[in-house]
Amino acid sequence: MAMSLGFVVGILGVVILSHAAYSTVQYRGLLKIMEEEFPGPPLIVVIELLLGLVFCMWAALTVPGTFLSIHPHSEENRIVSLPDNLDFMIFNHRARVLPVEMDLKLKH
Amino acid sequence: MVSKTEETQLNRLENQVDNGGGGAWEYLCLVRKLKVRRSEKVLKYGLSILNDLKKRSSLGSEEWTLYEQVAIAAMDCQSLDVAKDCIRLLRKAFPESKRVGRLEAMLLEAKGSWAEAEKAYSSFLEENPLDQVIHKRRVAMAKAQGNISGAIEWLNKYLEIFMADHDAWRELAEIYVSLQMYKQAVFCYEELILSQPTVPLHHLAYADVLYTLGGLENLQTAKKYYASVIDLTGGKNTRALFGINLCTSAIGQLAKGRNKEDKESLELQSLAATALEKDYKQRAPEKLSLLTTALKSLKVSS
Repeated sequence: MAMSLGFVVGILGVVILSHAAYSTVQYRGLLKIMEEEFPGPPLIVVIELLLGLVFCMWAALTVPGTFLSIHPHSEENRIVSLPDNLDFMIFNHRARVLPVEMDLKLKH
Repeated sequence: MVSKTEETQLNRLENQVDNGGGGAWEYLCLVRKLKVRRSEKVLKYGLSILNDLKKRSSLGSEEWTLYEQVAIAAMDCQSLDVAKDCIRLLRKAFPESKRVGRLEAMLLEAKGSWAEAEKAYSSFLEENPLDQVIHKRRVAMAKAQGNISGAIEWLNKYLEIFMADHDAWRELAEIYVSLQMYKQAVFCYEELILSQPTVPLHHLAYADVLYTLGGLENLQTAKKYYASVIDLTGGKNTRALFGINLCTSAIGQLAKGRNKEDKESLELQSLAATALEKDYKQRAPEKLSLLTTALKSLKVSS
């Protein structure tokens, strides 16, 4: 539910931004016809741009879900133990003399 | 590297499988990914999957990886018949495979026929002199036979070619520590810290060896590395907190006449002591009195 709302808001933000771009281009075309300078987009378009920015940013933060931690000492990422060196594993340990009493066989 | 989330996940899966819930295949995959050594459980649950025809066919092509994993676990638990059967099946499926040949040589090692295994490994190395795993198995065999100096020699030769293999550096460091050749062990740990500076356990081992060597400079460096362990683990490593206390008191004993950095080191020691007491109160409150008396004796002697 939250994800689809985020999607909708994101799409809305993109639509607002593209509408602002289109209206700026049109405004500039109009000024060219009237042979005036182009100081910048009109105030309404600037407000529209800011609104589009806010919508897009909110959607970008909501849609991906929970962010993963990057701290090496956070509770999830903390390295607890090194891998046992299995390349150097030797079989000459005390389990050799005290074998585990399991009647296990590969049945085929 | 096993992180905290992975460790909790492993323990949870292990409990689940032990108490009869499903999830044996996920447990085996996790053990393989994390490279931990749980040979008994791998053998028991791996065989339960392999002996069941339905479960085996649902694995598809991954059943051969499972055969390999169960074969190694069987060798570790000294069930050599199981290992022989698994390897026989693997050999039938992959007749020209070097990986299976390596397993067969490991089986010879596990049986104790060192000379034949040595012959097999040398023949593998003639075909491909740069096979890392075979080199390491030769070192492991020398270590298993008790020929520690031979193992050191092989391992040094291996590290001259493959200098980036940090598992091998760690193995060499542990061998040196077992022989009390601490200066060489210090060199190995320095290599490890250079290649993996964010792993706090290497810093911890380095600091331990420096503290064992003793001498004022080594103790000061050891204190710095214990502090970096605390930094990297967010204060959760009890051994490093103890290390700081012991280093400060040992430095204080050695440098009795000089009053250079008294305040700073005392502050660090008292902070570490407070952190230790808080940790003990939370996790082992009945041992708190032992801890406070031990810390007090450290402070008095410094």
